[in-house]
Amino acid sequence: MPFYKCSKCERIWQYPLSECPFCNIELKKMASGQNKVIAVSKVFIPTIKHPIVPYFACVVEDENKNKWAHKTVEEVKEGDKLVFESNADRNAVGIWRIKYDYADAIEKALELIGGIDLNENSKILILPTLISANQPYFRENTSPEFLTSVLSFLFSKKIKLENIKIATQSFTELSVEAMASRSGLLDVCLKNKITPIDLSKSNFVKQGNLEIVEEIVGADIVLNLGMLKAGNVAATENVFRVLKKENYLGLKYLNSEKDIAKELEKALPNLVSLGEAEYIQTSDGFIAFLGIILASRNFINLDRVLNEIVSQKELPEIIAQINLEEIPIAGRAIKEIKLNINKI
Amino acid sequence: MTKFDYSTKPWWQFAYEAALDALKDGNMTIADIDAIVFASMSSPAGGEHQTHKVSFLSDLFKTNVPIIEVTSVCGGGGVAFWTALQLQQYKNILVLASEKFADNKSETTTDWILSAAEKMTEQTEGMLFPTQNALVWQQYMKKYGASMDDLSLIAFKNHTNAALNPKAYFYKKPVDLEKVKNSPIVSSPFRLMDCSLSVNGGAAIVITQEETDVKIVGSGFATDYILTFGREDITHFKATRLAAQKAFKQAGIAVADINVAEVHDAFTSVELISYEDLGFANEGKGAELIKSGKINLGGVMPINPSGGLKAKGHPISVTGLAQIYEITNQLRGRCEPERQTNPLPKYGLTHNIGGAGGSVTVHIFERNN
Repeated sequence: MPFYKCSKCERIWQYPLSECPFCNIELKKMASGQNKVIAVSKVFIPTIKHPIVPYFACVVEDENKNKWAHKTVEEVKEGDKLVFESNADRNAVGIWRIKYDYADAIEKALELIGGIDLNENSKILILPTLISANQPYFRENTSPEFLTSVLSFLFSKKIKLENIKIATQSFTELSVEAMASRSGLLDVCLKNKITPIDLSKSNFVKQGNLEIVEEIVGADIVLNLGMLKAGNVAATENVFRVLKKENYLGLKYLNSEKDIAKELEKALPNLVSLGEAEYIQTSDGFIAFLGIILASRNFINLDRVLNEIVSQKELPEIIAQINLEEIPIAGRAIKEIKLNINKI
Repeated sequence: MTKFDYSTKPWWQFAYEAALDALKDGNMTIADIDAIVFASMSSPAGGEHQTHKVSFLSDLFKTNVPIIEVTSVCGGGGVAFWTALQLQQYKNILVLASEKFADNKSETTTDWILSAAEKMTEQTEGMLFPTQNALVWQQYMKKYGASMDDLSLIAFKNHTNAALNPKAYFYKKPVDLEKVKNSPIVSSPFRLMDCSLSVNGGAAIVITQEETDVKIVGSGFATDYILTFGREDITHFKATRLAAQKAFKQAGIAVADINVAEVHDAFTSVELISYEDLGFANEGKGAELIKSGKINLGGVMPINPSGGLKAKGHPISVTGLAQIYEITNQLRGRCEPERQTNPLPKYGLTHNIGGAGGSVTVHIFERNN
């Protein structure tokens, strides 16, 4: 849990404020190294946000005596430490709660799936979700805050600006330029001196049945930023955009999106998906708060887990047959977070 | 004030009935009112989603005076009253609160109350208000050695009082101590009977510059951090201490001068901890006060003779004004004989909390001879 401290007056916040309002100096981030449960209440009251009972509501304290709230479905007692084991299994899905600080949540979610191997020469290709020319609050595209935080995370790992590419392409009549502009993502790119790439103008390389954009080949890590949606496979659909449009449409006609997804999953071993789900669209397009981030090397599993968390009954064909029990989960348990998104 | 219940009247009906009651009590009509301060949680429960209630009230009372709406969840009534006291250019102010809160499944109403907790780290982690207060109480017990039996005595006292109060939900419905102690656990260690009752209702008070038989002699208002566990001392409510200090200083009286009090008992533990924060008991000695019997009806300083939030009911923003209604009646000697503090009290105190100690008002009233 990150805290932010003024080095002069020593006040502490849980919010990532730019400066101390008393001293007007930058706050210093304090990361919690250890945690200990200091109080537990077993809760039997179901609510819309917490329909599964009983659960255990804890007060947790770190080595600096900072305290915070934590919910778990596993029985815990005073003095216990909360441990979140990472799982490097390629099929694992990491689940984490966003607590004001996106960059911190991104780092933690990636840690939960074993981390990603980054060094100062790593070449990163970022695939934001960009499917509509709408304002960010519609939650159709990757949010500017999320993209900014992904870049902050990469800069904190000393990744060079020239080694970061942000790219996508449009599978509709809407231009990438129009969508990037309206969504606020163009501003993020320009502010960070990154020129976004329209993948439809790139070269494609053949890999089996797939024609994959050549930028993928040159990247050490591909970060797929899925703007998740209930009743949808948003992370998976975003990966389709690394294919040549005609290739995607042809394969979809001849086979199915499910087959394309499976083939892509094998063809892109260096792809890591980050599922943005602070606010998400419900299956009927309304917006609901969920407050989580997901991470996985298996984008299909990531979409399956999201739909389980929001209690989606009718699943898209791509994930309908996936047995949830076979997906390794790291971080927060599904039962801790699960709710009926349509009741929010 | 209206009776607290689960009736399905709309919010404005509760407001209207309470206002009319207060105006008649003051031998006034709405034409005598120069300003209105209104409190509500603006709950959308039951589809009754009405914001801009000030304009509705203008229409309801056919008045064009300034109407201010304040919201501070469970502390809304007290904050509305405090706000009205700052408006000294107005001769007669109607302070009004109404809630139609309980009219949906409890999952929904509990969720709406939860919206008063911090969103990203408390709401998401299941920190319901019973849970927050249960965890505070655990820390208190660890520090001072009190017990759940002490809290049962508070629930029992307040239910006993409410059974005598015609305005209370539990009027003529006494609850015995064994039922309190054996009620189901809702958020350990809290049992159902440690929690107040979310009901519907309305209450109104008229404040006038003219001299009347009850004077407002002390008023204090303080706030505290929304993150309950980020506070310096999680076993007490700092805002209560600060508000009480201000109110007593302004009143120029000592804690021992108070003859009767209405103390915020959203949870039994909150009442016990507040004994100490208000100065009625020394730190860590709240349990001794409830065990002494001094704060029961007939004791030297009855606390929550109305039945409190616990058993009279807790219609969120209305509570603060319902407390003032009770204390005013106590000072005037108007309560039912079984509930009336004897001898006739000179000073009464009200204590109203919003959230888990996040906004607190304390008011002191004096019978004016």
